[in-house]
Amino acid sequence: MGIFSGFSLIASSIPYIINGVWTTLEIALVSAIIGFVLGVILSLFKIGNIKILAWLSDFYTSIFRGTPLILQLTLVYFATPQLIGYDISAFLAAIITFGFNSGAYMSEIIRSGINAVDKGQFEAAGALGVPYWSMMKDIILPQAIKKILPAMMNEFITLTKESAIVSTIGVLDLMRRAQVVAAENSLYFPPLIVSFAVYYVLVMILTILGRLFERRMSRSD
Amino acid sequence: MIKVDHLYKSFGNNEVLSDISLEIKKGDVVAIIGPSGSGKSTLLRCINLLELPSKGKIYIDNDDITTFNQRNVIKIREKVGMVFQHFHLFPHKTVMDNLTYAPIKVKQTTKSEAQEKAIKLLNRVGLSDKVDSYPSRLSGGQKQRVAIARALAMDPEYLLFDEPTSALDPEMVKEVLDVMMSLAKQGMTMAVVTHEMGFANKVADKVIFMDHGQILEVASPNEFFNHPETDRAKEFLEKVL
Repeated sequence: MGIFSGFSLIASSIPYIINGVWTTLEIALVSAIIGFVLGVILSLFKIGNIKILAWLSDFYTSIFRGTPLILQLTLVYFATPQLIGYDISAFLAAIITFGFNSGAYMSEIIRSGINAVDKGQFEAAGALGVPYWSMMKDIILPQAIKKILPAMMNEFITLTKESAIVSTIGVLDLMRRAQVVAAENSLYFPPLIVSFAVYYVLVMILTILGRLFERRMSRSD
Repeated sequence: MIKVDHLYKSFGNNEVLSDISLEIKKGDVVAIIGPSGSGKSTLLRCINLLELPSKGKIYIDNDDITTFNQRNVIKIREKVGMVFQHFHLFPHKTVMDNLTYAPIKVKQTTKSEAQEKAIKLLNRVGLSDKVDSYPSRLSGGQKQRVAIARALAMDPEYLLFDEPTSALDPEMVKEVLDVMMSLAKQGMTMAVVTHEMGFANKVADKVIFMDHGQILEVASPNEFFNHPETDRAKEFLEKVL
């Protein structure tokens, strides 16, 4: 059987695979939002002067950076029911793991962004009597985030691709759907290459959107 | 009135201010001059607590600010404005937002009031056409004038200038000095760390000469520039004049 006749055999399943993109995007997007919020909070703890919070944030980060993501995911999904008796859904386990994991990486990215903001900005805001949290929110973070947009976009793209491992706990994302169709037809190349192409196109679109967004944000330069 | 009383400041083992005492009366313009590294900027930054003094007291209108906690520090910063060598405008905000942000945030001024005031101040520094520009579109001299307007937007009673013209191209120095001069004429109390001897001579009520973290001379500009007392001041003036 030729490679191309394989595509016609799974033709009716191709839309099913492609539609997995919504699940993939949903996981990536929700996780990115959780990751961003957590990242901001953790980075503020890290640069703040409350030692215990800084230490806890560093510890949190080292845990998520120091262990395999697939193990974190498996642990959340299979251990949660045993530990707290809550029958966690695969989707929820996925966004919790990815969101918390991303928070660890985001906090480092945001911290580097805050450190890259001119010290004079802190002093100027301070000299005007602006309270610490307002200064962070209105003066420092907007400038920090502008500096780290490429790194944040990169993190989001990584998240999108890495989300393929949620297929291991049965979430029907792009990857898992390709595997399902492959198994049903005992035919591997066509369904896998379909999801391969969808991932690639998706990442290209996200890259372009990211660049447009960066350009918009650099209006004040 | 600002009164500095036996002030010391060290960074680690390095003593940058040593037994500084001085007074700045309401309406006075005080020029602080001296070689680089003499502690002029650190002294200025102690007065609004951007640097914490190691020892000694600083009184602003009879409040000892060295005892202040974070909440009170804000009160001091409302009273004492500061203009920096490198402007430090907020680059992501327009000129208008640079001027209205702190009054709205800190003094709970309404937006329309703050904007009205900002336009008046921009007129005063000759930049009313730049209301909607971002700082990156301004020249150094324009940035510094906006920075002065931003400080004035808080209605400070005292203004500290930390080498306000040192980062400017020579042809832009005058436009900034002119604004400062008109402020002085209108009775603003100012402490100016500067290398502009002409400005110190013409505008200051009092010149403070510092070297190695100490005040060596306090005199009227006339006395200081024509009859400096210490050898160090004579030597310094020979080099810069």
